[in-house]
Amino acid sequence: MRTRLLTVVGVAVVIAAVAVFARLARTDVAGQSPAPAPQAGPASLPAEAATAAEAGETPWGDPDLQGLWSYDLEVPLQRPARYGNREFFTDEERAALDKERAEILGESDRRYSPGTEQDVGGAYNAAIFTTHKPVGRRTSLIVDPPDGKIPPLTPEAQKKRAEIRAFQVALLQATDVCKNNLPGCSGGKYGPPSPRRAEAPPHYLTVAAAGGPGGGGGIINRSDNPEDRNLGERCMAAVLPDFGGNTGFFLQIIQSPGAVSIFYDTGQGQGWQRVIPVTANPHLPSHVRQWWGNSRGRWDGKTLVVDVTNFSPKTYFQGSYENLHLVERWTRLDTNTIEYAVTIEDPTTWTRPWTVKQEYNKQNDYANRHYKEPRCHEGNYGMVGLLAGARAEERAFADGRGPDPATKCTAGCGGFAAGFGDSGEDSNPLTR
Amino acid sequence: MRRWSTGSMILVALAAAAASAVVSRSVTRDTGEATVAAARTADGTPDFSGIWQANNEANWDLQAHEARPGAITQQGVYPYAYARVPAAPVLALGAAGGVPASIGVVEGDGEIPYTPEAAAIRKENGEHWVDRDPELKCYLPGIPRAMYMPYPVQILQSANKINMAFAFTSTARTIHLDKVEEPPDDTYMGHSVGRWEGDTLVVDVTRFNGKNWFDRAGNFHSDALHLVERFTPISRDAIRYEVTIEDPKVFTRPWRISMPLYRRLEPAMELLEYRCIEFVEEFLFGNLRKQQLVKRWEGETMIIDITRKVPTGDKLYEWYRR
Repeated sequence: MRTRLLTVVGVAVVIAAVAVFARLARTDVAGQSPAPAPQAGPASLPAEAATAAEAGETPWGDPDLQGLWSYDLEVPLQRPARYGNREFFTDEERAALDKERAEILGESDRRYSPGTEQDVGGAYNAAIFTTHKPVGRRTSLIVDPPDGKIPPLTPEAQKKRAEIRAFQVALLQATDVCKNNLPGCSGGKYGPPSPRRAEAPPHYLTVAAAGGPGGGGGIINRSDNPEDRNLGERCMAAVLPDFGGNTGFFLQIIQSPGAVSIFYDTGQGQGWQRVIPVTANPHLPSHVRQWWGNSRGRWDGKTLVVDVTNFSPKTYFQGSYENLHLVERWTRLDTNTIEYAVTIEDPTTWTRPWTVKQEYNKQNDYANRHYKEPRCHEGNYGMVGLLAGARAEERAFADGRGPDPATKCTAGCGGFAAGFGDSGEDSNPLTR
Repeated sequence: MRRWSTGSMILVALAAAAASAVVSRSVTRDTGEATVAAARTADGTPDFSGIWQANNEANWDLQAHEARPGAITQQGVYPYAYARVPAAPVLALGAAGGVPASIGVVEGDGEIPYTPEAAAIRKENGEHWVDRDPELKCYLPGIPRAMYMPYPVQILQSANKINMAFAFTSTARTIHLDKVEEPPDDTYMGHSVGRWEGDTLVVDVTRFNGKNWFDRAGNFHSDALHLVERFTPISRDAIRYEVTIEDPKVFTRPWRISMPLYRRLEPAMELLEYRCIEFVEEFLFGNLRKQQLVKRWEGETMIIDITRKVPTGDKLYEWYRR
């Protein structure tokens, strides 16, 4: 009974992490398909959106970016292939997409055979992977390359991804995911427990999505150590850049002369405080690495330009680790709008740089709906449940009271993200 | 009875020692600057923008205390309290594992006016520091503790909001100078509303969830905590930080702490990460690893066995629900 309870607790508390996964994964699966050859030249915003109303200045004369910000309209990071190089939806398409997504939200009660591992995996189905925000005008946040897709991975990054994927599949091969040939077993086949279960992961594990967004990361079907779990479950999922997701995304920007601070309220209590020094000082020495890198800001007219380097090898963004380099441009377009544009490059990960543009909409300062807590970490007895549940299952197996843990798909097991449960990627019209 | 990780204990103590080292270093400053007038904003109020740090021992114990041989001690040869020796968790750290002495930051008679019931809890907290101090778990530090932990804090002072960004676990507090709705729930860091009284920034802080401590000595408060903080410039590079502490569930009367906050004068100073969630995984979850990282050392290598019995009510999930 105790075993079962702990396992259930473990599974339940993974919800927070899974929600974070959802945020990351909304863009990720599509990213694995090779993109066509890139073309030059970033796309631009529609003329009416770019109409820069007189945006205010701070009392000390800097452009004023301050306030609470989020985005009111949902735009997929990558453009679904069926839209080709078309940058904007028609009004009819937006209405149809909103209707289709509303129907998905109504399907949240659909169940697999109750009590099965697949049923548990299906707790995180399309309904929770679909936000309630209406679809925006743009067909992708990515404005360059013009096809709206993350550029292809370099051979080096593909190799890293494949190594992680092979490890994931090895740890799944004795489970029902492979026995029933579910999509989560893609690339593997059913067999006895792999000796690789005793190995350390081939690379530092980061995010939840099976196969890893773009080339790495990945949850594994094992809970030997906290480090076996993904960064979301470890309450360290916050990444830079962050384009939001269905677990909430609010920015609070406060400035002073020489510094801009942004609190990222993101990922269900995994938010963090960022301070951007506006300075001509060089970056930190290259051996000093940080999870969120090292930011250096400067004002270019009305735009805050931020150069971010010095990321940690444990940082993970869409397949990129310590070599990630960002150039962000924060511009107040009008009283209620900030344009955030970021050029993302890592020659060890992608074959070319790419650029994302997102519009942030002003939120009500008086309502102050911005939470720096409750934080994931302070309540993370889910990690205790996951680890203690795994130890209890091992003891039960050793005593002949339970199945070999290697044959069980636990806490999603890295299988559902690619379709073991009911992946939102497959059914969400914005990411399909 | 639970074995606990030697490594994690040492890690904690090392972190503490390293943090103390930072404090000591921050004292260094050029001469003459103390006479420079306080910086002012465009609208004439003192400008506290910049990176600051307390430079005292308050995070060890708000009250005056003599140096101790270790953050955790045990009875040695003698039965006297003054002759205790370092205990296993910090033993390997030698002189880096001790607690520095302090003249204290509690105003007046230096006493903290606990109710008798609360005084008993305070004493028990001190005896179970490792089990109970939220700092060791990398939990949000709360106010006022975040202001005098041995990590820098960056103040961004704007017209309607003042933001304080803390290096410790990359958290923050916002002081609202404008009117905002009440928060929907109590929190670790509380809800801060500020106003100017002449050159003093007065901040009223309420809505705490009662899970924080004041220091590593076990001084604590409840969810009824109400703070009135006063930030007054001493010079361009120093702020007098005073806090009136009120909590009728724990204290018999309001009491005050006071200390300077010093500007970090290094030209290249910036806030770096102290993302301790990762650092405490062994501390919090190490006993649940499939294979423990703790090993008995052999031969000339030091062997430390630590027995850590977690008292009823202090297990991780119990603490959270308390």
